[in-house]
Amino acid sequence: MTVEIPKETWAGSVRTVTFGATASEGGTRARSLTVGGQKTLPFLHFEHETPYPPLVAIEIKDHRPDDWSPLLLDAWGEAANDPASWAKAAEVAGADVLVLALSLNDTNGQPTTPEAAVAATQAVLKASALPLMVFGPGQAEVDNVLLVAVAEATKGERLVLGICEDKNYRTIVATAMANGHLITARSPMDVNLAKQLNILIKDMGLPLDRILMDPTTGALGYGIEYGYSVMERLRLAALQGDAMTQMPMIVTPGFETWKTKEAKVGQDVPAAWGEWRERGIAWETLTAVALIESGADIVVLRHPESVARLHQAIRSLMALPELA
Amino acid sequence: MYIIGENIHIISQKVKEALETRDSKFFQNLAVKQVEAGAQALDINLGPRKKDGAEIFPWMVETIEAVVDVPISFDSTNLAGIEAGLKKIRKAQPIINSTSAEPERLEKVPLVAKQYNARLVALTMGASGIPVSADERVNIAVEKLIPRMIEIDFPMQNLIIDPLVLTVSGCQEYCPQLIETIRTLQYAWDPAPMISVGLSNVSNAVPRQNRPLINRTYCVMLMGVGLQTMIADPLDQALKDTIRIIETRDDSTAVGRLYLKLFDRYAAMETLMPEDVDMTDPEQVAIWKTVQILLNKVIYADSYLEQEMTA
Repeated sequence: MTVEIPKETWAGSVRTVTFGATASEGGTRARSLTVGGQKTLPFLHFEHETPYPPLVAIEIKDHRPDDWSPLLLDAWGEAANDPASWAKAAEVAGADVLVLALSLNDTNGQPTTPEAAVAATQAVLKASALPLMVFGPGQAEVDNVLLVAVAEATKGERLVLGICEDKNYRTIVATAMANGHLITARSPMDVNLAKQLNILIKDMGLPLDRILMDPTTGALGYGIEYGYSVMERLRLAALQGDAMTQMPMIVTPGFETWKTKEAKVGQDVPAAWGEWRERGIAWETLTAVALIESGADIVVLRHPESVARLHQAIRSLMALPELA
Repeated sequence: MYIIGENIHIISQKVKEALETRDSKFFQNLAVKQVEAGAQALDINLGPRKKDGAEIFPWMVETIEAVVDVPISFDSTNLAGIEAGLKKIRKAQPIINSTSAEPERLEKVPLVAKQYNARLVALTMGASGIPVSADERVNIAVEKLIPRMIEIDFPMQNLIIDPLVLTVSGCQEYCPQLIETIRTLQYAWDPAPMISVGLSNVSNAVPRQNRPLINRTYCVMLMGVGLQTMIADPLDQALKDTIRIIETRDDSTAVGRLYLKLFDRYAAMETLMPEDVDMTDPEQVAIWKTVQILLNKVIYADSYLEQEMTA
């Protein structure tokens, strides 16, 4: 007896967004990358093909961070001492794309200067030909100053600049428009606010195919279910045809996971929690896998082993099931 | 439409200040203004007033009853304060707003309402909060609220069920369910229980300039399923015009005809269709877009009216 599998047909689709410019496109990247284009919910290959697989980004810093888990610093070793060597190591570790997260202060405790931010960005662009995203330290005024300098110095590279939030998006969007870059729009785990920020950014005139949205997530055990529901709802709205929710989604499970006690702390925790390194990596991997299943197009990770495991998960999820 | 005026509410800075200085003139003006604008009762929300409830509720009753004759609705969780106020009532039958289905409230509040022959607003909210689905909200009314009234021999004509309006900005999935709750509640008991809602809640946390349109559009949809009483702003002239259009079936304007269509669609268990709307008229398009967010078909955003319509 044959069973007919019901298929959903959606009115809308996720917008395709391409970033990273090759030499022929006015940049220096080895290739550009595209995400989005889905016409159905994640990995339902029987309903529609998934045009582009989710991408794994690795977060690197402009100098060795002093607040990262020792597990991460051990994994990256000497490479984490400067952004160029870190970028190379991240490429070897399997990054599809690099995220350079600028620090608030330099190694002497002085505020990061625009010149230093540009130097770090250019060192990364020189060391690795992967497409690049550059995130500010997360303070409105500092972000504006650093990202404008970076955007101008890298005109034409089609970088992704982050992070635009409702109180701080105008300057970053303006410099992205002027210099041919993209942006990521972050909202605090709320479908209404995510959509509103997209509308505001569109109203400034940035083409919709240059916007990624970051609905914010929490790590496993720390609110991931809220993040998951918000992403699911945004994706359903996108498929139903709401143009202001059709941007591909980027989330930062690495950042979220390595804040948690389970990933961060190796001592004075119950023995039942198991071996520390394995626990941290599993936490990051499981958080990220859940997020790509809720529709994330790009996940930003920190540990190289998590990256390897996530690639494996994505390969499995992208594989077409063999017909019985 | 029976409107319970909502404007004496502690959320207003002016009310807060007037309360601190016991400015009786302020409250009397606000009471008279609302009644002149058509309010048939006045809701008084002064917050819990844990410290001075026993003094302030009676003071407010005397202040307001000195200038108007309409029922006073005590909107508070402070039962002792409400009781002090009830003792002072000299004019119309008062209202207690409210009890919920939480065991402790449902135990005590209806007894006080019965003792003072007050009408009682009962919320479809249990110990675990406000359910999303219409069925669950109706169940709270039928399985908890009404049985408790029967148990204490509370006159059913004094019961007002409030199935709870929540904001489209943040609780969007509740908005369409409330419509169906009101529709069903009228068949939940014989005779049909009186139903009232706090209309303006639907636009809480919405930018001020967008609130009236959301309020009156939702009002039409709720009237379509039978709503006859609400706590609302009687000074909102556009809202009252809209109610008048529905009640007198005034089809002299295009927008009026659209509101009547919206009302008729809901009365017939249907929904507004694109062909009902003249999409070249910006005012009608705004109403269409508002219906879509209230039905949770399009995700609400503060700039929802500016969003172009897509397939």
